[in-house]
Amino acid sequence: MIEIQDLAKAFALSKNNKLSDTEKQDVRYSKDAFHSVRSVSFSCGSGEVLGLLGPNGAGKTTTLRMLSTALKPDAGSVLLNGVDVLKQPVKARQQIGFLSADTGLYGKLTAYENIAYFGRLHGMSEQALKQRIDELFTLLNMHDFANRRADNMSTGMKQKTAIARAVVHSPKVVILDEPTTGLDIMTVQTVLDFIKGLKAAGTPVIFSTHHLDEVASLCDRVVVIDKGISAFSGDIAQFKTLSDKGDLRQAFLSVLKGSQQLQQQGAA
Amino acid sequence: MWQVYLKELTELMRDKKTLIFVILLPIFIFPVIFGVMGLVLSSTTNKAMQEQHRYVIINAGQAPKFADALFYHKNFKQLSTDKSTEEELIAAIRNDEFDVAIVIPADFNDKRLAVEQAQWQIIYNQSSQFDFMYRYFSEILANFNEQLQRDTLTQLNVDPAKLTAIIKPVDVKKVDTAAKRENIGEKFGAIIAYILIPLCLLGASYPAIDMGAGEKERGTLETLLICPISRVSIVLGKFLTVLTTGLVGALITVGSFGLWGAIIGSFAGMAVVQEAMSAIAITELVLIFSLLLPISAVFAALLLAISIYARTFKEAQNYISPLSILIFLPLVAAMMPGVELNSKTALVPIMNVALAIKELIKGTADYMMLALIFGSTLVLATVAIGFCVHWFQQEKVLFR
Repeated sequence: MIEIQDLAKAFALSKNNKLSDTEKQDVRYSKDAFHSVRSVSFSCGSGEVLGLLGPNGAGKTTTLRMLSTALKPDAGSVLLNGVDVLKQPVKARQQIGFLSADTGLYGKLTAYENIAYFGRLHGMSEQALKQRIDELFTLLNMHDFANRRADNMSTGMKQKTAIARAVVHSPKVVILDEPTTGLDIMTVQTVLDFIKGLKAAGTPVIFSTHHLDEVASLCDRVVVIDKGISAFSGDIAQFKTLSDKGDLRQAFLSVLKGSQQLQQQGAA
Repeated sequence: MWQVYLKELTELMRDKKTLIFVILLPIFIFPVIFGVMGLVLSSTTNKAMQEQHRYVIINAGQAPKFADALFYHKNFKQLSTDKSTEEELIAAIRNDEFDVAIVIPADFNDKRLAVEQAQWQIIYNQSSQFDFMYRYFSEILANFNEQLQRDTLTQLNVDPAKLTAIIKPVDVKKVDTAAKRENIGEKFGAIIAYILIPLCLLGASYPAIDMGAGEKERGTLETLLICPISRVSIVLGKFLTVLTTGLVGALITVGSFGLWGAIIGSFAGMAVVQEAMSAIAITELVLIFSLLLPISAVFAALLLAISIYARTFKEAQNYISPLSILIFLPLVAAMMPGVELNSKTALVPIMNVALAIKELIKGTADYMMLALIFGSTLVLATVAIGFCVHWFQQEKVLFR
């Protein structure tokens, strides 16, 4: 279970930084800071897949970085199965499997070595590690390139390795930042099947995406972030009601339109 | 921490650039310096010593014995000229008609008979790196002067047995207390430090950039930060890797210095180098390495801190370049004449290690002073590591 309440994060701006006219009109900019995430709240239960949507620069990645403990929130709370991420970050990290938007692999290490390194950092024994890697290689169809260095892998191979690395320690919560971007159809399908497998195993999965078809096929819940606030948070059925014919694209645009109107009213 | 250390080492060992900077460069830099530079220098000197200088002599009849001595010297070749004024002779030398002109006054013999001092002129281009010509000329002139003095004193009925004491009342015999090693150490010790210390920095630079800015650029840092290990462990694991590469570079350099010094000394016939190298004991090489250890730790911590701050590999390289230049300032200061190791210079970072290496090579090191240098550099290293650890925990640094 993941529970997020009023999460906020600002980044200091350089003293020499001069705001452009567009930035001056953007509610996220103040004199000395950029408020990347202003107020984001949502929850995701066991066996649920939550799709995190939003335009580029809306604050999705910052939100996921706070969830994964890479960034410390300025305000709000994050509970992962009852563990307070702010108060017990190391304990929280043991439960998290995180895939960043970059595949984030070490080029000079093989697929096996990349995954094993992170398994060891999570304190796994060599025997458990070997067994788990073998299981993941079968699941993600990776045996052919197990000993290939990441520098010599295709994009799809890299993404599979990155996913295996993120879940090697059998995390209780999985966070994926745009896991299907730039992949071919076959690899996308493998990734989506893998997420379905996690869902079936009762693992809550949060993933950010721009692909609404993936949301339609996978997600139980949807959160739309716009300019640092959660403009919509609810289940997929509620999300669909925001459009006339259950069209997700229309629903998404409708949320953004409503959010922008609210923000303009607030600014006025 | 050790998992991070082992993984970083594995990656570095598979990287060609690291192998070049840490292993190959230190192995081959000394043969280049000892061998190539030594051979070039000795060949240039030999060539200069054997060069034949074309000369003209004006009013040679005024000093026929001197003219004969010059004529029969193997390094001089006489040419004839119709020029006689200073301006004409200078112009002729500039036009490469000959190399040197010696002008004896037309009234030289009259002055000599009147026991008056005469002034000769030697005109030549003095910008040459090796002025062997003037050395040969001076030797011939000194013999000629002495002969004239003897002739004059004999004419004045001075006792021939006392002529030498009158011409040269004081003779000096030089007794050198410095061992050959000390002489060589004085001349080359600072240069060895000048090579060793930057190599420690160079060996650590690439791994440091790769482990900080490189991780950021590849997107691996974020993944590493969310592992259930403390950031202190991560940064210390990385620091130890950078330190290891810097030290391996230094160790190979010291070993290469000893090995190539001995090889070149014995095979290339440079007996002085061989003698000096055989006088440097293993203990002194170990002490040199021990002094490089804390300074390498300072470099490793600073390089890693800079690298962590940079967003990209290129940005890190831009920040590290000025640091590379900065470390040469104390090294150059250590090479200045008159700069010696004392309680003040022992506290100047980098310069102190350079001076200590020089003293160790000379064989005149003061062990208390070495302990002071080791201690002060260790304190500096601890501060630098502390700063690096603190820096690595700053979100504004990691996610700029």
